[in-house]
Amino acid sequence: MNSATMSVALVGGDVKPVQVEVHVGRPQESFKLTGLPDTAVREAKDRVRAALASSGAKFPNRTVTVNLSPAALPKGGTEYDLPIALGVLAASREIPSPRDVIVVGELALDGRVRSSTSGMAAGVLSARLDLPCLVPESSASQAASVPGARVYSIKTLAEAAEQLRMGLDGEMVKPRSVPPSLDTTADLADVRGQPMARRATEIAATGRHHLLFHGPPGGGKTMLARRLAGLLPPLSESEAVEVGLIHAAAGLTRGIRWDRPFRSPHHTASRAALVGGGSGVPVPGEVSLANHGLLFLDELAEFPRSHLDTLRQPMEDGAVTIARRGMSVEFPSSFHLVAATNPCPCGFTGDDRKPCQCRPAMVSRYRQRVSGPLLDRIDLVVKVGRVESVEMRSDAETSAIVRKRVAVAVDFRSNRPDLISEVASRLILRALDSGVITARGVERTKRVARTIADLALAEEVSEDHVAEAMVLRGDW
Amino acid sequence: MTTPHMVRAGTASYPEGLLDLEDPPDLYLIGDLAAAPGVAVVGTRRCTRYGIDLAERFGRVIAGAGWTVVSGLARGIDAAAHRGCLSVSGHAVGVLGSGVDVCYPAENRPIYDGILESGGAIVSEYSPGTPPDRWRFPARNRIIAAMSTAVVVVEAARTGGALITARLGAEIGRPVFVVPGDVDRPASEGCNLLIRDGANPVLGANDLIEGLGLIIGPPQQAASASTVDLPQSGLTVDELTTHWSLSLPETLARVGRLEIEGLVRMSGDRVIPG
Repeated sequence: MNSATMSVALVGGDVKPVQVEVHVGRPQESFKLTGLPDTAVREAKDRVRAALASSGAKFPNRTVTVNLSPAALPKGGTEYDLPIALGVLAASREIPSPRDVIVVGELALDGRVRSSTSGMAAGVLSARLDLPCLVPESSASQAASVPGARVYSIKTLAEAAEQLRMGLDGEMVKPRSVPPSLDTTADLADVRGQPMARRATEIAATGRHHLLFHGPPGGGKTMLARRLAGLLPPLSESEAVEVGLIHAAAGLTRGIRWDRPFRSPHHTASRAALVGGGSGVPVPGEVSLANHGLLFLDELAEFPRSHLDTLRQPMEDGAVTIARRGMSVEFPSSFHLVAATNPCPCGFTGDDRKPCQCRPAMVSRYRQRVSGPLLDRIDLVVKVGRVESVEMRSDAETSAIVRKRVAVAVDFRSNRPDLISEVASRLILRALDSGVITARGVERTKRVARTIADLALAEEVSEDHVAEAMVLRGDW
Repeated sequence: MTTPHMVRAGTASYPEGLLDLEDPPDLYLIGDLAAAPGVAVVGTRRCTRYGIDLAERFGRVIAGAGWTVVSGLARGIDAAAHRGCLSVSGHAVGVLGSGVDVCYPAENRPIYDGILESGGAIVSEYSPGTPPDRWRFPARNRIIAAMSTAVVVVEAARTGGALITARLGAEIGRPVFVVPGDVDRPASEGCNLLIRDGANPVLGANDLIEGLGLIIGPPQQAASASTVDLPQSGLTVDELTTHWSLSLPETLARVGRLEIEGLVRMSGDRVIPG
């Protein structure tokens, strides 16, 4: 006697259907689980047995074999408890086989269904395959926020069995439309002075240029970086789904949200935490959690050099491949890097007033950590000086005003010819000849100049755009 | 403009520099010889990527300074120098070892045409239709040297035309500028020999223009705000917007231009004159 239930696995920022097959055979007590389960899945046996008993159902006194298919896909977590339990009931002819229903959920020993990180994944699969899904009550609203998902919320194993027996006649969870949430807590108007750094922030938001702020403590580097997120256009529907799934794969519940993710790992974070990894089922790292959003590295020079070097490949390719024996998983990682750093360990090298306390060798060692390949990929490098009290006026523009300008420029950018005037190209060559920029800097300058032209709604990059771009690519 | 005509030695339109030669030849000419002082940029045909980049850059800055780039339209360094010059629509003179209407090597046809299009000239002492015979090339090198006020050698092997051009130039009193190279690199051997024998080493594009400026006179400055209204101690970019009463993008653009012209330098967010 067989049954098959559909469930879901998160594989590298995407969902894959998993068949939970149950076979109940000849009379002899045994319970086998096959199909590359991890420890949490293997423990499902005991939870399922207890939950079935608590729900008043009988665990068959026969050989029970559970196979999670496709077998090659590593499966982790506790979300297969419920599909296994329902599969056992179906294979013992207690309920109809739920072949065309997607089921996820962890079982408590008393038969209640607990929340699962796969709630959203089930919603996505439901929308994609156009099948209904059974989801624990606490993650039902998340699943229902996926456009097109058909979600049934359940509280207990008994309720789930009853729903299947009645052919899903319960009420479907109402699709929840997510209001566009905009971060109003961090407004650009809070930053005093720093017009140059603000300008760089606006350009970075428009052209998605990686950005580095450097300067003494107290200038507002961190404040500015945090406010960049609020200037970006909201996520598209497919982006929001992708972001939600990656968060789910890392065990975080984000669901569907329109604001761009903002990740700020501490400089003591491990390499696996940054780029992903982990034993068993690969878990996405910060670079993937920041996909379609911002990765903010505060105190950039405090990050170990080797960790910064591992950021290169994900930055370049927009994806991280985590290889494991027998399989490799790819997580998207097209993040927008914003970094902030002091110019030296004490923070006051190059300050107008305060003397630096560091020995010269210390300063150069510190600066060298942020150099080479990583720095080559950062288009905008801007010094954020300390704010003198006279500058402490608050006639600054709010995020809302800048956001509008950015949105207009981004829209303009999407269909305009890519032109550069002859004098502008010549200016770049002159800058190269006089050593203001390096050969590598040429491309960066062109990119930034293009964005500056977009902000001015100009089809052709002019000499002024190039000259401005050059200044915003200051020395580090 | 595409029909060759002859300029006899000693006539008014004859390039004055050639009279320094013992045997000033009659010249065949297509296009215009400008009055601007010429700088010869020469080098080996078997050059490195580094040499090509440098020759192009030199071609650009020499043309940018308002001077004429003189070279032999050969493969390698010669072609690169011409290309650099043409990339900023500068004035170039190509001196051929064949008839003026024979473009050799054929792959340099775009450069040949480009020189004429941007108002430069192709010259040769051989009558039109003369085929490119190897034995004629060393002779044309004396014309390259004599037509120029100074000779710049980018890369040269121990033997070869570039070295001949430099030596001939030195004999008739033309200052020789040479790019130093690795001691074990064949393409730089000739250069290093010239430096040992007293030629001026060139340490970059700016250094070259400075050195040439001492001989030819100051380079043409591009029209610009060369007078910087800026306190000696410098101001931050933010202070400059108030100081110049410009918008921030305008201020940044102006600072960028001044920086390229070498009139200011950035130190963090502070703009310092000089």
